[in-house]
Amino acid sequence: MTLRIGVDTGGTFTDIVVYDEATGAVHVRKVSSTPADPGLAIVEGVESALEQIGGRGMGEVSYFAHGTTVGTNALLTHRGARTGVITTRGFRDLLELGRGRRPDLYDLQADKAVPFAARDLRLEVTERVRHDGRVEIALDEQEVRAAAKTLREHEVEAVAVCFLYSFLRPEHEQRAGEILAEELPGAHISLSSRVLPEFREFERLSTVVTNAYVGPVVARYLERLRGRLAERGLTAVPHVTQSNGGILPFQAAEAMPVRVVLSGPSTGVVGAAGICAGAGHPDIITFDMGGTSSDISLVQNGVPKVTTGMELDGRPIRTPMLDIHTVGAGGGSLAHVDAGGHLKVGPASAGADPGPACYGKGSEATVTDANVVLHTLNPAHLLDGRMAIDEQAARAAVGRVAERVGLGVEEAAEGILRVVTANMARAIRVISVQRGYDPRDYTLVPFGGAGPLHASRLARELGMRTVLVPPTPGAQSALGLLMTDVRADFSRTRIQPFREDSARRLGALYEELDGEARDWFEQEGVEAAERSVLRTAELRYAGQNYEIPVPVPDGPITEETVLAVLTAFAAEHRRLYGYDAPGDPVEAVTLRLQATGSVPRAELPREEAAGPDAAASLIGTRAMHVPELGGYVEVPVHRREAMRPGNRLEGPAVIEQMDTTTVLLPGDRLTVDAHSNLVIAIGGAQ
Amino acid sequence: MTTIDPVLVEVMGSALSSIVEEMGETLVRAAYSSNIKERRDCTAGLFDAAGHMVAQAEQASPIHLGSLIGVVAAVLERFPAEDIRPGDTFLSNDPYSGGGSHLPDMVLVTPIHVDGRLTAWAANLAHHADFGDRGHAHIYQEGVRIPPVRLARDGEIVEDVFALVLTNCQVPSERRADFRAQLAANRLAVTRYGELAARYGRATMIETAAALLDYTERRTRAVIAEVPDGTYDFTDRFDCPELDEELELRVRVTVAGDELHFDFAGNPGQVRASVNMVWTALYATVYYAVKTLVDPDIPSNAGLHRPIRIDAPSGSIVNCVEPAAVNGRTETCQRVVDLIHGALAPAVPDRVTAAANGANTGVHFSGHDTRTGRYFVYLETIGGGSGARAAKDGLDGVQVHVTNTSNLPVEALESEYPLLVEAYELVADSGGAGRTRGGMGIRRTVRVEEQDVQFWLDTSRQRSRPWGLFGGGPGASARVELSEGARPLSHGHTILQPGDRVSIITAGAGGYGDPAGRDPSDVERDLREGVISAERAAHDYPDQTPPAR
Repeated sequence: MTLRIGVDTGGTFTDIVVYDEATGAVHVRKVSSTPADPGLAIVEGVESALEQIGGRGMGEVSYFAHGTTVGTNALLTHRGARTGVITTRGFRDLLELGRGRRPDLYDLQADKAVPFAARDLRLEVTERVRHDGRVEIALDEQEVRAAAKTLREHEVEAVAVCFLYSFLRPEHEQRAGEILAEELPGAHISLSSRVLPEFREFERLSTVVTNAYVGPVVARYLERLRGRLAERGLTAVPHVTQSNGGILPFQAAEAMPVRVVLSGPSTGVVGAAGICAGAGHPDIITFDMGGTSSDISLVQNGVPKVTTGMELDGRPIRTPMLDIHTVGAGGGSLAHVDAGGHLKVGPASAGADPGPACYGKGSEATVTDANVVLHTLNPAHLLDGRMAIDEQAARAAVGRVAERVGLGVEEAAEGILRVVTANMARAIRVISVQRGYDPRDYTLVPFGGAGPLHASRLARELGMRTVLVPPTPGAQSALGLLMTDVRADFSRTRIQPFREDSARRLGALYEELDGEARDWFEQEGVEAAERSVLRTAELRYAGQNYEIPVPVPDGPITEETVLAVLTAFAAEHRRLYGYDAPGDPVEAVTLRLQATGSVPRAELPREEAAGPDAAASLIGTRAMHVPELGGYVEVPVHRREAMRPGNRLEGPAVIEQMDTTTVLLPGDRLTVDAHSNLVIAIGGAQ
Repeated sequence: MTTIDPVLVEVMGSALSSIVEEMGETLVRAAYSSNIKERRDCTAGLFDAAGHMVAQAEQASPIHLGSLIGVVAAVLERFPAEDIRPGDTFLSNDPYSGGGSHLPDMVLVTPIHVDGRLTAWAANLAHHADFGDRGHAHIYQEGVRIPPVRLARDGEIVEDVFALVLTNCQVPSERRADFRAQLAANRLAVTRYGELAARYGRATMIETAAALLDYTERRTRAVIAEVPDGTYDFTDRFDCPELDEELELRVRVTVAGDELHFDFAGNPGQVRASVNMVWTALYATVYYAVKTLVDPDIPSNAGLHRPIRIDAPSGSIVNCVEPAAVNGRTETCQRVVDLIHGALAPAVPDRVTAAANGANTGVHFSGHDTRTGRYFVYLETIGGGSGARAAKDGLDGVQVHVTNTSNLPVEALESEYPLLVEAYELVADSGGAGRTRGGMGIRRTVRVEEQDVQFWLDTSRQRSRPWGLFGGGPGASARVELSEGARPLSHGHTILQPGDRVSIITAGAGGYGDPAGRDPSDVERDLREGVISAERAAHDYPDQTPPAR
């Protein structure tokens, strides 16, 4: 039992990484995805990968982790289950009314997101709890039964229940859940008090409806994949990545599918955090640039930043997740000239079809075409020669843009890159500067097909000094799966004063959460030595409505603990807003506990150090456009796979590998580290 | 026209937008009052040294632009340039001497110096839900008027000014915390702008700001040029609870080449009620309407204003003079947007919408909370139907046109105020019939708990109905329902007693096109979902309605 497997399903490729615990060898296999039935590519890809490394068997696999976009896709393409909703009387329209805002301030053609449950499937029952937890009107169980009957007649596959104040008093929802289970056997039932026991009814409702809507789809998918893997001889419990970056067993995810909605992107971040911490770069900003968009996140001290939720087309989804910011800037982003004569790039994208002009089918200029014009990308072929590039088509497309802005073709191509860089820099500012972190203190870690191509420019734009390109930027997520832990989050919303004399009450609440975590550890079979918990309190000044998470030290909650947390809160408030308010009462809103069971890490292989001379990897030169040097200059082109630890390079230069290209600009200095990462000191940075 | 690198201008535009967004977020997160922290009734912007807006946060309600337009000029008029120093912050709310468009909008403006010279201004506005239970015959009844005054010097609050302001507020502790959040937002802008200036230099900052305005102007002119030339007139009826009579509002829009002229001649004189608009409110409203009709993506800066000329008689309801009351100006602003859409419907039929719900329905509950012993003011504005569009139904139950605030969650409201929300729902049959249907209005039912509460309703379209376009039918009117025994409203006011219940029902919106052209499957869906009743379906869509079973 010595093999570990990580599988990441993307839109185009399914990446499989196999790690041999005995030898430390890492084997990467890329197969085409099978979107209609993603499990197919997984099972076949895993089998072929095992075959490739010497006919190893599925029975030798001790660990299997998977990142999936099945949940995300069901949401994006509106292909979830037929979902019913039951609310407190008077509130069935809350799902549509939301927070009352229209989707766009000025664009009157913009539409609100279509609710995941149609109005005739949203039913009301009589019951009412007050803000202090008092029951004003008891639950009318007959109405719940009648509603269940109606939903049965409409053949719903899933039901979400959300009552006012259920986060304080879940009994009405629990009873409704029991009745629904009796009346609708086989339906996926989601209670808001279980999915998100937190304050703010619309956000809770939206989250529980999302859970119900993707529930049957995710459950069916995981169940089927679990069966297939078992059939082929897998005995280890398969795990799936959650949006929070941790993994959990398939069966647990089937019960709480909203937790895996952002499964895919979060694994790449976890992998990057693991690789970089090992390489001595614990503070990083990850930059995953693909064809249509870029995902950006911040990792501090080896730990990815988490957030309590996101909005998808205006629908809030509140569940602990990595703080990943997505911007519509990718290799396929289209360049155009607007009515004011400005060059704009994205968010519209040429997508996979027709794709950039240089791929042969499209005719509009994209970011990729600009790179081809400037020869930052290979103007003849990509993917180790598997894909031909039509440079003339790229020049023609960029040329049409150039004419409209009155620039030369190269100038326009440079302009396209500057504009897309500015868009990405703005996105990085959102997760750094706007959260109180200075990007200049962080290392930029590009991955995805297009990340390393743009990293040096982006780092310059933000004043960042170092870029680290991991060894397999194209299979980052699958590799990340070998470095992630099992994790679950527990929370309680109890709005209450946070002061010395509340220590006992706070202690009791954390005790409850601890109990839940212990049960979970037992259930997961996590050994005592591998268990750890991280407590946070979300605090605010009484009167505010946005909370700041503050870590709560381990051990019993005493007056001293409370004082220490209050001091940390004031410091965090100053960091974020520039001031604190000594003397103003502080209150706790949500107490959280994150339970982690550590999984032994895959130790990535270290390669034999070679000297600084990178000549062995030189495969030629090409004329690359470098504005600082006045136009096209011959620059060396190196083969990434042939570079060795200790090798050094100076920009301008190009490093090619199967699925990405790294560009060094003048002044950049590159060193290959012991783990074969490319570490680039950015030219001109202080 | 400048000759600066257009790509650098685009890059700088991105950087400045980041700053105003961060200002807005800081304000919302640090504020204490529901109206700011949950309802996001606030905005932030950056101005050049002379007071032209360079960037505005997009989260805001468009009317807030009105409160920002004149403020820098007002500060510059009152304070000599050499007396404006780093660390200063000026406060103002007065529509007649400061730049605000009604008194609750508190504007804080902070100079930004680079290399020791005034280079830009950071401004933010927050609607402080205070000044409850006031009269609206003239502005002196509506709250305290604050001309531009120095709220901070050398980064420290000027305590005597602050005390004067807070003493005139009904919920001073909340005000104090909200002002602190506003100061933090501007301070942040000064830091961020300084970081950019350190990198690009003062001259480039100034040149790119000017180029951003030129760019917006070019873009605006280019799209106006595509609108057919001509003169377009429109009139509409206007009502509000404060007025006994209905008024007739009108506009004449002239499109000539790449310029637009809005003539408001012939509108009624200003009224002894809160619905008068000062010029800044009118300008903000017209700029909003133009943006929706020509290009919603045009940056929010002063370049947009250059091809637009606005004339309105001084002392009229759309350009009032001192001492007209202005608190409820958005009722009138909403109607002005409808007028402009109505006027330009023949010119740009694919971009206009039928009449929206035509109001910014404000509900104000105030009184002493017996639970806390403190005075409270709960303000909420309730959305309604949005007008049907050429190819799509109108949006149901949303904030329209010049406002876009969030509602207050019931679970937040009931914890803070002695009130109970019994229903928050869409109103069947309220959307106007048409090939595309008008949006639905909202019903919000609130019960008063343990003590008497002052209630004031600010709305419109109670006496008329939002019109449809090109054969579309009108939406339903707004109305109020009170529980039995509750004291009826007089000019929008009443005192509610424990156990009383009030349902505020906002108007739907107009339909677009002949109802006979509506897709039968859309009629069937609206029927199934209870959006329209069987009777209404049979009446409005006789040919598309299946016979009753």
